[in-house]
Amino acid sequence: MVRWGMVIDLKRCTGCHSCSVACKVEHHTPPGVFWAKVVRIESGKYPTVIRQAVPLLCMHCREPECEKVCPTGATKKQPDGRVTVDSDECVGCRYCAVACPYGARCFAPDWKDYFTGDKKPSSPYAEYSKKKWLEESDKGVVSKCDFCEERVEQGKQPACVNACPCEARTFGDLDDPESEVSQLIKKRRGMQLHPEYGTDASVYYLPAR
Amino acid sequence: MVTTSCGMCYGTCTVNVRVEDGVVVGIEGVPDSPQGYGNICAKGLSSLMMLYDPSRLNYPLLRTNPEKGIGVDPGWKRISWNEAMDLLTSKLGECLKKDPRGLYTVGSPTFPAERAFNVLCFRKAFGTPNYYTGGGGLHCGNGAHMIGGIYHASWSVIPDFKYCNMAIYWGCSKGHGAGHAANVAAKQAADAKARGMRLIVFDPFLSTQASTAEEWVPIKAGTDAAAALAMANLLLSEYSAYDKEYIKWKTNGPYLVAPDGLYRRDKKSGVPLVWNIIDKKVEPFNSENVKDCALEGEFDVDGTKCTPSFQLLRNHLKKYTPEHASEICGVSASTLRRIAKDFGEEARIGSTISIDGKTLPYRPVASIYFRGSQGHYNQAWDCMSLVLLNHLVGSADVPGGALAFGPPVHLGYPGTGRLKYSVEPDKDGLLVAKNWPYAHLPYPPPEPKDPPERLDLQDMFYIPTYTTIMAWDNNEELWQKFKIPYRPDVMISFATNQIMSVGNPKTLMKNFLQKFGFIASFNIYSTEFEESAADLVLPDACYLERYSSATTFPTVGVSCHGTGLGEWIWAIRQPVIKPMYERRPMIDVILELSERLGLRDRYIEAAREWVNRAYGGDLDFKKVLDPKEKLNFERMLDIIMKDRFGPDKGLDYFKEHGYLKWDKRVEEVYWRAFNDVRVPVYLEWIIRAGRKSRAIAEKYGVPDLVDWSAHNALPEWRPCPTHTEKNPEYDLEAFYWRSALHTYSMTMQNPWLNEVSQNDPYTYTIQLNTETANRKGVKEGDLVWLENSKGSKAKGRVHITDGIRPDHVAIAANAGHWSKGMPIAKDKGVFFNELIEIDKEHTCPVSLGQDICVKVKLYKDGGDRSG
Repeated sequence: MVRWGMVIDLKRCTGCHSCSVACKVEHHTPPGVFWAKVVRIESGKYPTVIRQAVPLLCMHCREPECEKVCPTGATKKQPDGRVTVDSDECVGCRYCAVACPYGARCFAPDWKDYFTGDKKPSSPYAEYSKKKWLEESDKGVVSKCDFCEERVEQGKQPACVNACPCEARTFGDLDDPESEVSQLIKKRRGMQLHPEYGTDASVYYLPAR
Repeated sequence: MVTTSCGMCYGTCTVNVRVEDGVVVGIEGVPDSPQGYGNICAKGLSSLMMLYDPSRLNYPLLRTNPEKGIGVDPGWKRISWNEAMDLLTSKLGECLKKDPRGLYTVGSPTFPAERAFNVLCFRKAFGTPNYYTGGGGLHCGNGAHMIGGIYHASWSVIPDFKYCNMAIYWGCSKGHGAGHAANVAAKQAADAKARGMRLIVFDPFLSTQASTAEEWVPIKAGTDAAAALAMANLLLSEYSAYDKEYIKWKTNGPYLVAPDGLYRRDKKSGVPLVWNIIDKKVEPFNSENVKDCALEGEFDVDGTKCTPSFQLLRNHLKKYTPEHASEICGVSASTLRRIAKDFGEEARIGSTISIDGKTLPYRPVASIYFRGSQGHYNQAWDCMSLVLLNHLVGSADVPGGALAFGPPVHLGYPGTGRLKYSVEPDKDGLLVAKNWPYAHLPYPPPEPKDPPERLDLQDMFYIPTYTTIMAWDNNEELWQKFKIPYRPDVMISFATNQIMSVGNPKTLMKNFLQKFGFIASFNIYSTEFEESAADLVLPDACYLERYSSATTFPTVGVSCHGTGLGEWIWAIRQPVIKPMYERRPMIDVILELSERLGLRDRYIEAAREWVNRAYGGDLDFKKVLDPKEKLNFERMLDIIMKDRFGPDKGLDYFKEHGYLKWDKRVEEVYWRAFNDVRVPVYLEWIIRAGRKSRAIAEKYGVPDLVDWSAHNALPEWRPCPTHTEKNPEYDLEAFYWRSALHTYSMTMQNPWLNEVSQNDPYTYTIQLNTETANRKGVKEGDLVWLENSKGSKAKGRVHITDGIRPDHVAIAANAGHWSKGMPIAKDKGVFFNELIEIDKEHTCPVSLGQDICVKVKLYKDGGDRSG
């Protein structure tokens, strides 16, 4: 059985936010909702200072905290390793958003137009975007990255992987030891974020240095 | 799905745009295209938000408030296109009758091909010499392009990412998400770092490139040349790490210079002489007898003691000891020594590599500069000093070295042999670019105009891309003295926000923009420029709604290809949907205006001249177009493409495929080894050209127009005005940087880019060192003022970081908008340009580019002065 996972090479990443915006194009997320984002971490004292861009998304944990706290069963672990939210079952209690140690979950009480902040779309594209968002994720519920299910089903890469100018992202089957992701994790000593939480994340990071 | 070229920056990646039921709903890269490899950045992805922005200009607008000025409400009134065209025709017609030179044309560098047809060709047809790059404005690279042109026949240089092992970046971001061939370079730079290329970044702050580099060297702003000249001195004098063969045959290093500083020339042929070591006599540099020549020594030429120019350089550099440089630039002498030594060793002088059966010099080091290192008073010599490192070790346009953008040699599209151009030597053997986006080549220097004809006096100098002299306080006095008989009359602007991007907005408004009788602006938003200064605003089509002839040619200019071997690509821009509302592509308006003004034939002639210079060849529109045929841009594109690629590859082919690609050749990419051209380690011609310009200035009673002592042959470090600021109250050096999330000011109105900028700690803030912040009692997020010694101020929120020198503050460019027409951009970030001046003291005397660093004091908002 396939277990989808992603490897992000911090040596290649420049923190350009292409992933953040590619996700918006693909999933029509409204203002304030970022399924993909980039944070910057700085350590050290001038002049020996290290700054690292770290792209974040849902880690699709094998042991997801969000799933454990979900009172309705809307959050599900899929057989292919993805963690999903069924918007029909979600009641928007946001326990999951609190439980997720990676801050990967977003809540939007309502759809809003990017330009006007109104519920009324300001353009034909905003109208299209609103329709898609309500179909895919809906208002008043929690949403997050689903590893671009609709693209992966068609044999494509997730939108963030596809767009990345530095080609820092690799998507594939973690259960296949020969897959590119498995090989990268092995050869480059891929790390999960906060392994101490025991979440067994499906997103791995390759060290920059 | 429509294939076109992204227009969100000048990287011009090929994109597939998805249209459903007439609505643009998606955008992706095209993996098959060498322009992007299918990758796409945040800006490109945000195109959709630009297309559908409700703040876009949709109708022609006329100013009803006769008062102009920053912060003045223009009182826009919607008018019809018919009214707008009648008004434009009458204003331009009057100007044409009075004195066509009164027309000032302005264009954005983000769209070089559009700019060519919209602005440059129209300017020529109209008969005005006046043009400036108002969109790029102070970001534009006078010094950078001048030096790129002289040494590489190109706009700039970039590491040969495939083979380079050690790159030094001086205030530039190549391969880190912004600028020329942005996404291609991002992938190539990532590949290079993964391969093990060492990147060393000299920059006052921990930029993106510095944070991903092996080493960040925090250098004081504007002092790169001091560091580089010390490194050059070390390479020559201490480490003996210079490529003698390269200097002998690829530079003017052996040319003999007389005590007057000029070449000693052969009496018969007039070309410079060298000392033939074998026959022990002087000979023309290009004599076949010269099998070896002297780089050092002193030689008697008809009783005059002459010295090879390389020897002069070497002697000259001796004063740039690393210890001396360290005092100027704030980098330790030991660091300069270590990096210079590594650079010399890594250059592997004498080694070769075989690529595609061709044996070439292998020099895997590159000294790379761009915007940061050229934003200074001394920018021409700063850039020369940085590029000189490559030319000492022979790492210019050979595998592993610093490669020209472009490259500037194309041996022809294989199907037709056309689209062909190369470099060539002038009679002194020096490199001449043949494929160049502007009429004046970087070398040889054109004859200066006596008296100058342009309002910015550019034509009495020998090099500048453009100048901002027309906005100096004493411009009227200068125009009178130089007997310029006309004054600013009408301006036509394409996609610029001059108020935000040229320099100090108040100075520009008062000294320049207020002087125009009529300003028409084609733009997609009503920016600060339109609100402050425009009389008529025309709703331009954005890049998704219009055509462009080619986004990747001319290759050496603003647009360029990815570096190294790979593929050439001719890509067009085409409308993915019809222009919405009453938006019109500016080119359609310009062609109609040309007809209305009776300039049709002159426009065609100007287009012929530009197309052939930029794209090579000898196309003549007149031979193809029926004399009675109304000008139509699509028709012109079809003619250009068929002429270049054959009858089956006209516009229809490109509309279907978006682009055409073919393989690059070793002889093109690594052109230097295949072309008998030299570059100057001693800029002898600048002495001669500078004297000519000076003589004109003296003749018209302006002997001190600029500091003529900088018009010399050898590189110097000269301080910026901020380096000599005496008042200790102004204790912080403020400089701007360009965020990869934005292209000038245009993208600040994009809500997606705005949102990621808000999530980013740097784009909208003033970066201040932790220790400095503690000393001044400033906390994260505090609202502070930066104030210069003339009382100009800028306000912003502080981001405290250890990633900046304690004596510097960094601000991302082009933020801090206030126009009503850009509500998303309004009040976001800090407006740096308030702090800088447009005057002689802040103008490079050689390249005429602007110095844009400034000393400031910092204090908290609310009068709580703690600085």
